[in-house]
Amino acid sequence: MPHVVVDPITRIEGHLRVEVEINGNQVTDAISSGTAWRGLELVMKDRDPRDAWAYIQRICGVCTTAHALASVRAVEDALGIKIPKNANYIRNIMAATLTVQDHIVHFYHLHALDWVSPVEALSANPDATANLQRDLLNAYRLNFTTPTTGQTLQSMSTEAVPHDFPAATPQYFAAIQAKVRTIVESGQLGIFSAQWWDHPDYKILPPEVHLLAVAHYIEMLDKQRELVTPHVIFGGKNPHPHYVVGGMPCSISLKDGNAPVNTARLAIVDRAINMGRTLVNNYYIPDLVAIGNLYVKAGKVDGGGLAKTRVLGFGAYPIENYSGTSNGSFFSNMLIRCNGVVENFGAGVANAAFHELTADDLKAEDGFTEGVQHAWYEYPENSNPDLHPWEGITKDKFTEPKVGTETVWQQLNEQGKYSWLKTPKWKGQLCEVGPLARYIIIYTRAQKGMLPNPTWAEQMMLEQINAVSGVLGLTPEVWLPTMVGRTAARALDCQLNAEINRFFFDKLIANLKTGDTTVVDNSKWFPEVWDQKCHGVGLYEAPRGGLSHWVSIEDSKISNYQCIVPTTWNACPRDDSAGHGAFEAAMIDTAVQIPDKPIEIARVIRSFDPCMACATHMFDASGKEIAAVTTDPNFR
Amino acid sequence: MQQRETLWEAYLRRGLSRRSFLKGCFALTAMMGLSLDKFNDVVEAASGRPLPVVIWIHGHECTGCDESFIRSASPLASDLVLNEIALEYDHLLSAACGEPFEAHLDQTIQNYYGNYILAVEGAVATKMNGAYCMSGGHTFTSLLQKAAAGAAAIIAYGSCSSYGGIQAANPNPTGSAGIEMFVGGKPVIKVPGCPPIPEVMTGVVMHVALFGNLPDLDSDGRPKQFFGNRIHDTCYRRPFFDAGLFAETFDDAGAKAGWCLYKLGCRGPETYSSCGNLRWYQGMSYPIQSGAPCIGCANAHFWDEEPFTDRLPKYGKIGDADKIGIGLGVMATAGVAAHAVASVIQRNSRDKVAEENRHDED
Repeated sequence: MPHVVVDPITRIEGHLRVEVEINGNQVTDAISSGTAWRGLELVMKDRDPRDAWAYIQRICGVCTTAHALASVRAVEDALGIKIPKNANYIRNIMAATLTVQDHIVHFYHLHALDWVSPVEALSANPDATANLQRDLLNAYRLNFTTPTTGQTLQSMSTEAVPHDFPAATPQYFAAIQAKVRTIVESGQLGIFSAQWWDHPDYKILPPEVHLLAVAHYIEMLDKQRELVTPHVIFGGKNPHPHYVVGGMPCSISLKDGNAPVNTARLAIVDRAINMGRTLVNNYYIPDLVAIGNLYVKAGKVDGGGLAKTRVLGFGAYPIENYSGTSNGSFFSNMLIRCNGVVENFGAGVANAAFHELTADDLKAEDGFTEGVQHAWYEYPENSNPDLHPWEGITKDKFTEPKVGTETVWQQLNEQGKYSWLKTPKWKGQLCEVGPLARYIIIYTRAQKGMLPNPTWAEQMMLEQINAVSGVLGLTPEVWLPTMVGRTAARALDCQLNAEINRFFFDKLIANLKTGDTTVVDNSKWFPEVWDQKCHGVGLYEAPRGGLSHWVSIEDSKISNYQCIVPTTWNACPRDDSAGHGAFEAAMIDTAVQIPDKPIEIARVIRSFDPCMACATHMFDASGKEIAAVTTDPNFR
Repeated sequence: MQQRETLWEAYLRRGLSRRSFLKGCFALTAMMGLSLDKFNDVVEAASGRPLPVVIWIHGHECTGCDESFIRSASPLASDLVLNEIALEYDHLLSAACGEPFEAHLDQTIQNYYGNYILAVEGAVATKMNGAYCMSGGHTFTSLLQKAAAGAAAIIAYGSCSSYGGIQAANPNPTGSAGIEMFVGGKPVIKVPGCPPIPEVMTGVVMHVALFGNLPDLDSDGRPKQFFGNRIHDTCYRRPFFDAGLFAETFDDAGAKAGWCLYKLGCRGPETYSSCGNLRWYQGMSYPIQSGAPCIGCANAHFWDEEPFTDRLPKYGKIGDADKIGIGLGVMATAGVAAHAVASVIQRNSRDKVAEENRHDED
């Protein structure tokens, strides 16, 4: 039985290794291992909580902004700060901007080469490719009612016509093809080197789709930078824009001569948001539906894994400013109510169960926990095997691989410890998170009549699912919990977030019209007014799924900082009673045609958009408790 | 079969003369540490071999430097990676993975030994023999040493590979450090920043690709053209500093008017970077322009110089802002003059410290 190692997994963030046992075409066991640790939570200790966002944002430069946003939310929850309306809108724009840009980069630059080959593109006919582009726009430009198109909110959109249409001329595709030919025939392939281009899966798509996708790869590489300009306006740069506890640092004035944000600066944001909407509608969605449809028709409906069994979401986009997360205010004010867990979706909605997530679940000692059974850590002998993040103990316990030495690994030990990721659990169970989880939760809630008065965004999600089900000719229970479904849900999420970006920009303009330009609440800036001891939690539905930051503050300093990160949920090592995490379960649920060219394994892993630096930041070199100050999980 | 463009062909296409090409080769010879009798070999190599090969490796990092690199507008990232360089190994963009990818790395090192550019993103984890940062079943430290041995030039992208970065902040749990001590004594071009400005990152590669030599470096190894000025010296808000006009709190009247952020902890006066002149996104903004005080992310140990909202005198030598300017012309002039002197002093002392550190390392 072949034992196949793929290390490093590339086109992801960070360092990931997977190992699979293959019997015939079936994967019988799989290991997902995070292989690098930086110890950022330990670095956080004793810092000024007002600086936390800057440090913890450096967990990840791909989902830059995600950890800064979760961090300021957690600190503000602890200090009891309600940010101004404008700051809430701007942060939502920062978040939606990240999601749009991040998903586009993932699909075209991190994921596409699992489906698309520059070698196959060489045999495409440029005329036929131009025709294909036209046909794709006709068939798969999925349009939905949004506040902008539906006039439910007076739209401030300045766009006369969509400015970003794909080229559909033979000359354009011939030029792209000529460039690809130059690279391929030079024998020096650069970023295209050493891939399994002879794998039969590259024959699933016709050559014209390959050429079209390669063209869009190049175009999106040039365009993605323009999508993040809202971060540059509001946060000064990207990656790693600046934030401030209490709001946003970008003061707004429509009267002063040198204001950080004025009408001209807002026009840059407006342009970027419009560009995001047109890029996703004209490129991403048609490309995704075309490729996904051909894969489904070819019978590629595997790779669902844990998505069929259990998915988790925290809820997204506070519509208006709110007073806190631990007091429930965050949950009562959401544009997307995906706060909950859906179990057994793979068995059909009728058999699925939905559990709503509330502030009480965050505080419950057995609600969210982490275990270390197969992680390179150990808990004290008398300890509970699963600990709430606020009681988290991180004592490292590195063990050698099954084959090899500490610093040269041949094969990891699935019987023992094999990853630096802990195993996070919801009520003792493992969950998958991400865009797919959000769509499964909203769909299930709606089908079960548990989504009263859907918001426009929730309504759009339901329409998106229906539209894709129509194209594929399959019910959501069949196509959603698959590798293709995971990738498709991300594209739908991108389209949704492009509209959400517009929605909050329009709200920002409407509020500025009232004369309110405030972006910071300074009332609790100075530590003199803070409680001597306090705790906070910050939630954010990041591009890769539900993210939670947990902070404890004592004597004006951070006494404990914990993050439970989307890729930790998905990439975690197994648990002897709870089973496999999402990566491992998805690999086990994936057929592999050629064991020494396991492209299906790489593809299903990339369908999660892994972010290993996010997942693997927990660490303690000396073996002492990270939670040096024991914190109270009950917010007392 | 059509070959990839060589350095000579690139010079031709850009209308540059054979003379400037030969000058480039001369510099390349020196850069590679070869004696002048190897000059003809270098000319031959540059005339008949492909464009610069780049190997990009990742240690303890967040991939923010990769992301910044692809945000470059001039050159566009697509032009750079598909036309200007051969990016043979990079965890973010490379198609391949696993064993064939690692074999390709070894092959590339062998084929271009002594001729490739090594770009390093991320710090070296020194504790536990490097096992805190593994890739391909090996430590990052061993990968760095292997790749550095055959590199013509080594670029340390970002504050992590330059100085250790966030993971090296107190208490530095993994014993992380910059790459300089792990590359066999080869010179390292440091491009600090968290992350560096996109066009600064691509600019360094373009410089090597276009001119065939290393850019001029300061005593710390940073390209002078991008790190020659403090942000404070090029900041568009500098006149407000000189006039004594400051934001006192976030979002107050001074903040809305775009006055100097010095009193909110801005580290512009001690930070050498192109944020003030190049800015981000081709002049669109930088943190100060967006109302956020600089945190000094291009400085060696900025993570331990916090709280960030504390004013500079604690860490720098700029003096008391309350006594500078006060809105009087005479005073403002004096402030500028005193400030210029302070700049020179600070720069000299910085160079001296860097020089001493280098000797210490020797």
